[in-house]
Amino acid sequence: MPLLAIETSCDDTCAAVLDGPTVLSNVISSQADHERYGGVVPEVASRHHLELAIPVVEAALSDAGAGFDDLEAVAVTAGPGLIGALLVGLSTAKAIAAPRRLPLIPVDHLRGHVAANFLEPEPLEPPFLCLVASGGHTFLAAVRDHGGFEVLGETLDDAAGEAIDKAARMLGLGFPGGPELERLAADGDPDAFTFPVAMSRDPGLDFSFSGLKTALVYICRDLGEAGTAERAADLAAGFQAAVVGQLTTKLRRALDQEPWPAVALGGGVAANGPLRRAVAQLCAERSLPFKEVSRELCTDNAAMIGSAARFTEPIAYPDYLRFDAFATGPRGGG
Amino acid sequence: MKVLGFDTATDDTVVAASDGGRPVFEGTVPPNEGRPLHSQALLAMAGEAADALGGWEEVGRIVVGAGPGTFTGIRIGVATAAGLAASSGITVVGVSTLSALALGIGELTGADRVMPLVDARRGEVFGCLHDGEGRPIGESFVCGPEELVERLSDADRAGPVPVVAGSGAVRFRDELLRAGLETEPAGSSVHRLAGRSICELGATAERTGTETLKPLYLRVPDAQLWLERDGKTN
Ligand SMILES: [Zn+2]
Repeated sequence: MPLLAIETSCDDTCAAVLDGPTVLSNVISSQADHERYGGVVPEVASRHHLELAIPVVEAALSDAGAGFDDLEAVAVTAGPGLIGALLVGLSTAKAIAAPRRLPLIPVDHLRGHVAANFLEPEPLEPPFLCLVASGGHTFLAAVRDHGGFEVLGETLDDAAGEAIDKAARMLGLGFPGGPELERLAADGDPDAFTFPVAMSRDPGLDFSFSGLKTALVYICRDLGEAGTAERAADLAAGFQAAVVGQLTTKLRRALDQEPWPAVALGGGVAANGPLRRAVAQLCAERSLPFKEVSRELCTDNAAMIGSAARFTEPIAYPDYLRFDAFATGPRGGG
Repeated sequence: MKVLGFDTATDDTVVAASDGGRPVFEGTVPPNEGRPLHSQALLAMAGEAADALGGWEEVGRIVVGAGPGTFTGIRIGVATAAGLAASSGITVVGVSTLSALALGIGELTGADRVMPLVDARRGEVFGCLHDGEGRPIGESFVCGPEELVERLSDADRAGPVPVVAGSGAVRFRDELLRAGLETEPAGSSVHRLAGRSICELGATAERTGTETLKPLYLRVPDAQLWLERDGKTN
């Protein structure tokens, strides 16, 4: 019973076809154009989504060996995200579903990141603790069932990925900064510069990354342009280690507070190698299973939206025709 | 032919259906407290219009006003049309929102030269000189009131004074009146896009594929302007 899922909350135009927990196709069209703007420009992203939406949907169907006739439901990200971008995906999904009277399943994007862990192969069964870190969000989720999650702690300012992107820009790297910063950091000494260990004395599970960013601004200012360029690898390594350090510290603390049978990751930052290794080591120390989903399922994609849709109440035709997107709003879905 | 047409480039959500040129459904949802209701109203009304034609299976052609107008509105309309067409196999045609507006102005006033204007915000309008049947006579443009008055006097020299109407004419009615250009008061129906004009234009338009269904933005994104002006990121 194939399900079509569409995701357009930020700058990637994504469509996937799923059969239950099995991903039949997962097409991600990244918009390279944002590199020249040094970040995601909502209007530029929305224009690309409109151009790419139908071709990406058709590619997903074709990769899955399916056609519109085979579909039994359409899932789509309803929020949170860039409202203009979301509206392209939602309008497309509603319009695909309506003439076939298919049910529509609106999905919370953040639940999608958690639900990537429910996919084959080796789906992870709740309960588990999930760290979601991306360019837009950073939070620790208590996943007690398939239908939602509880936020145990979240960033009080920048998201981890946002901080990494800003650091990458200060070091003269392209956008998105994550992969480039990781590559540069591989040649650097993480201990060459001292970055503040943010929120370490805070007993809670919240995160903060703006202090790290400010520290980097001051270090770069002291080093000057040439000095910064010369020490870029060390700076990248130090900054990355500080981000990874904070994420794993909070994860460790959450595990100390409550026993969890497994740990999972989600979001674009979860594709970061050093973070994966640090979390794997933390789990190994405690003999906890660590669910490592593929990088493709960590960054924004539609398969994770289809996965969350399996545990979301569908809306029958014609009840969803008035359904609207939300830029910010409910999270966790219960 | 059974035609379903809609437009969300202006603040109104406009939907209509016609069967062999005879209107069988027409609906307009105005904005609520200035906020367009495109995303909520469009497909719901399109569903009613399809029902009036005997169901989605009966629809022979979908016509969408592709702009110019608000960027988000244009995208909701074009994405909806493209999604419906891809899913159902129904032929889809994009028409200019200005041309549909011009057709309506021509029908209501009997004028054979009309200048439809859509409020482009930021103190500007989208416009394009048309004949009374919705056929463009010039290029589409976006400009402020001063240039608009100039363009209208240019149009003047090339023929009779065009009838000026649309949300852009309402927006700059004072400036137009000062230049001696009459427009109807704000409440007049001549200023509002009618769904039947979208259907009528699209019914006779050349049959085109989805690849020619293009949004008519008439403006590049601000970020691109800044990039081109500064030669670097903002
Ligand atoms: Zn995301």
